[in-house]
Amino acid sequence: MFPIDQYAWTHRWRGHHPAERAVLAGGMLLIAITAPPLATAPLVVLAMAGATVAGAGVPLAAWLRVMTIPAGFLLLSLPFLAVSLDLTDGVALTVSAAGAWLAVAVGLRSLAAVSALAFLTLTTPVAELVPWLRRVGVPQAVVEIALLIYRLLFILADCADATRHAQEARLGYSTTRRGIRSLGLLAGTLLTRALARTRRLEIGLAARGFEGELRVLASERTLSRPRLAAVAALLFTVAALGLTLDRALH
Amino acid sequence: MHIMEGFLPPLHAAAWTVVAIPFLVVGARRITRITNEHPRTKLLLASAGAFAFVLSALKIPSVTGSCSHPTGTGLGSILFGPPVMAVLGAIVLLFQALLLAHGGLTTLGANIVSMAIVGPWVAYGCFRLTRPLGLGIAVFLAAMLGDLATYLVTATQLALAFPDPVSGFPGALAKFGGVFALTQVPLAVIEGLLTVVVVNLLTEFSRDELSELGFNRRVADDGGATLAPIQSPTS
Repeated sequence: MFPIDQYAWTHRWRGHHPAERAVLAGGMLLIAITAPPLATAPLVVLAMAGATVAGAGVPLAAWLRVMTIPAGFLLLSLPFLAVSLDLTDGVALTVSAAGAWLAVAVGLRSLAAVSALAFLTLTTPVAELVPWLRRVGVPQAVVEIALLIYRLLFILADCADATRHAQEARLGYSTTRRGIRSLGLLAGTLLTRALARTRRLEIGLAARGFEGELRVLASERTLSRPRLAAVAALLFTVAALGLTLDRALH
Repeated sequence: MHIMEGFLPPLHAAAWTVVAIPFLVVGARRITRITNEHPRTKLLLASAGAFAFVLSALKIPSVTGSCSHPTGTGLGSILFGPPVMAVLGAIVLLFQALLLAHGGLTTLGANIVSMAIVGPWVAYGCFRLTRPLGLGIAVFLAAMLGDLATYLVTATQLALAFPDPVSGFPGALAKFGGVFALTQVPLAVIEGLLTVVVVNLLTEFSRDELSELGFNRRVADDGGATLAPIQSPTS
């Protein structure tokens, strides 16, 4: 159902401490949105593609698939940045050089940021990222709920998939009108099922002495100093090279 | 309507995050209080959140043939109440970014404001106002207007970030708003109809579950004097 999650658990760097990847992705994201995009963005995309495919060993096809949807969305939305609406004399559409440059800059910045996000999502499972929300002050109860959501949503997604197949096989989506009805039935059934499952989960947990705290076993992994140093060096190189290139371009 | 990763300038991304925080703090405090009193509501809220995530990943049968997903803001705020929906919506948006690369981390604040705060509150207000007209009409209007409010906020966010070089903010708002009006209004109507089907089904077959969510109290015309639930996650 969620191919990203599958790669996040199975890539080559899964034995490393997740903080190393989070620092790399977060740093690149910061560079991507703050540095001048024209020179820096291609460097960020290159570095992140390299880290994802060559480093973590995620298949190139998987990386490309994650990148194509946002890229397609960018292609659709950027023309609206480039085109300006002139309201002074009736309604007129004009294309200005400033608008076109803005569109290119935003497109590059966004693409670079998405490549950093793609690296993070393809190499780090949600279950390893969510506990860090505690560090930024999110209450324990909310973090636990978020982790529970992560564990429950695959079951629910499977249920939704099966229902959808059954409905499609019975021509449930042959017309728009039927489609709306089928989808409504699907959503209603899904909620009922989710709540029924909750009740069973409650009974099961109560039988095991649940008192309000859910403990899960997390695998111990040590932070590697050489790898953190390499991450810092890569971040510094990309930022410095980007700024130098930008100065050369002007 | 997600704003994708990196699309907003850093200053705007930070500003929208700051706007979202008070709502999340209020919602999170409420959740902490409820779960301290009744630990089992944790499971209830988690399955509600998982439901919201899966709902937003379903494909809507679209008139134009393009692929689209329900926002679920209307249904969520009617079922769970807007303060709790703000937190659940924020978690769902975070998971969409991390599991589907849909939306983003830097634009999370802006997306939370449009989809987990303004949309649900507009839907809820609309629901309470139009409730005397009948449950079906109230649910339809709530879900549809909640969606439209979400799109309007997104268009405003984009217009503030990218004012038109010629006509400034109003021109940009007209531009982005026009695009959304063409593509999203039919979807909002469909989501309204869809939500009516869901609520009808639930009120017919799942009364107990709904009362567990505090739904009956929100739905009652008299503000819940007669239909007080035994235990509600939003009380």
